Amino acid sequence: MTGIWQDFVTHQGQLIDGLIVSLQLAGLTLLFGLPGGLILAIAGTSRTRLTRYVAIALTEIGRGTPALVMLQLVYNGIPVTLSGLLSAGIALALTTAAYTSEIMRGGLQAVPEGEIEAASALGMSRWDTLRDVVIPQGLRIALPSLMSFSVIMFQATSLAFTIAVPELMSQAKSIANSNFHYFNLFIIAAVMYAAITISASAFTDRVERRLSRHV
Amino acid sequence: MSLADAAASKTTSAIRLDGVEKRFGDHLVLKRISLEVQPGQVVALIGPSGAGKSTLLRCINLLERPTAGTITVDGVTVHADHEIKERDLAALRSRVGMVFQSFNLFPHMTALRNITLPQQRVLGRSKAEAEARARALLSRVGLADKADQYPARCSGGQQQRIAIARALALDPKVMLFDEPTSALDPEVGLEVLKVMRELADEGMTMAVVTHEMQFARDVSDHLVVMGDGDIIEEGDPHQIFADPQQARTRQFLRAVLDRE
Repeated sequence: MTGIWQDFVTHQGQLIDGLIVSLQLAGLTLLFGLPGGLILAIAGTSRTRLTRYVAIALTEIGRGTPALVMLQLVYNGIPVTLSGLLSAGIALALTTAAYTSEIMRGGLQAVPEGEIEAASALGMSRWDTLRDVVIPQGLRIALPSLMSFSVIMFQATSLAFTIAVPELMSQAKSIANSNFHYFNLFIIAAVMYAAITISASAFTDRVERRLSRHV
Repeated sequence: MSLADAAASKTTSAIRLDGVEKRFGDHLVLKRISLEVQPGQVVALIGPSGAGKSTLLRCINLLERPTAGTITVDGVTVHADHEIKERDLAALRSRVGMVFQSFNLFPHMTALRNITLPQQRVLGRSKAEAEARARALLSRVGLADKADQYPARCSGGQQQRIAIARALALDPKVMLFDEPTSALDPEVGLEVLKVMRELADEGMTMAVVTHEMQFARDVSDHLVVMGDGDIIEEGDPHQIFADPQQARTRQFLRAVLDRE
């Protein structure tokens, strides 16, 4: 136990830097992945067949491909050279968009048909109905699942160590490679990931309670 | 505009249905119905469930697309056999307000926001203008103090009155009511009927699908009895209640009136 603490104290600068990179990567992933998911979800219910098929195809490809494969594909596979962080952000955002589009579609479809009917009887356009009635309620319904998926994606940022992004996992591994305290450093990394994950879950609960105040 | 359209727009009817038919697959729900409602008239539609009353009402603002026939509301004509243009649809719906059995308020908005949002989006009113109108209408339906409440915090009768205010805020020429009190217990339904009666007295053109026989008899100017997708009988409400001409009407009235 004291050994673990000792290792943490000695290498805390590097580990915390790693955690910050992990959080930045998660931020990047969600910043592009969640709006992407919403666009795919809406496009998936479009009345235009082409739009619908493209959205469904993207969703299925995104969900069918492991995040690690996506990561390697974006970093090594495409002819454009991007930084590791950006490649990882793009790859994980694609995965996030594909998975969350399903979650969001479920939420959007749970908005009662009667309200959509009322909006059209009032003469509101399809777009206004979507923006004012369907999306705010649909996202609220989807929110708990979206937040837990976001936590999973935060954990998935550790995959980026395979393309040399200096995030928490790769920092822990590189320290362990030099001092051979593999057990200690992976325990430290696990606890640091858990610290973020658990506080994110607590935050989710609070947001959920806040949003359902009027119900 | 074709000759038929020009002729239709010259008539004074607020609502005019010509040969409106609705099919769901093989099932004929409305059998070529024609009906006219004059400005300021209150028409009550009664009849057994499954008669097609609600479907007919929903055809008037095209929530249900008729499979044949034409619909004219306040000079705007839509033909079922032509493709309906987005512009005509918007023009028609802007003239027609609708109140549903299940209220269908937007639950994530306050009563006030429920009423201001459509005004801003559909009529392009400013927020201040929309709010002034919404508050005026809320006090008119007796709910000035509920402006900042969410629908879930209001009783069914209050929700329905908010829904009426929401529809009225768009200055419709015609109001459609689809069993507005059926989801309410009788006592609460009275608050809604009172608002509707006031609206009728002020000269609003109304088409009301209802099971409230007293309202149909005493408030409406014209009674339409429907059965099996067709109009069985129509005319003066008091006369039909006192002396129905059709056996099917008699049977229906006996069933509903003997209960009271």
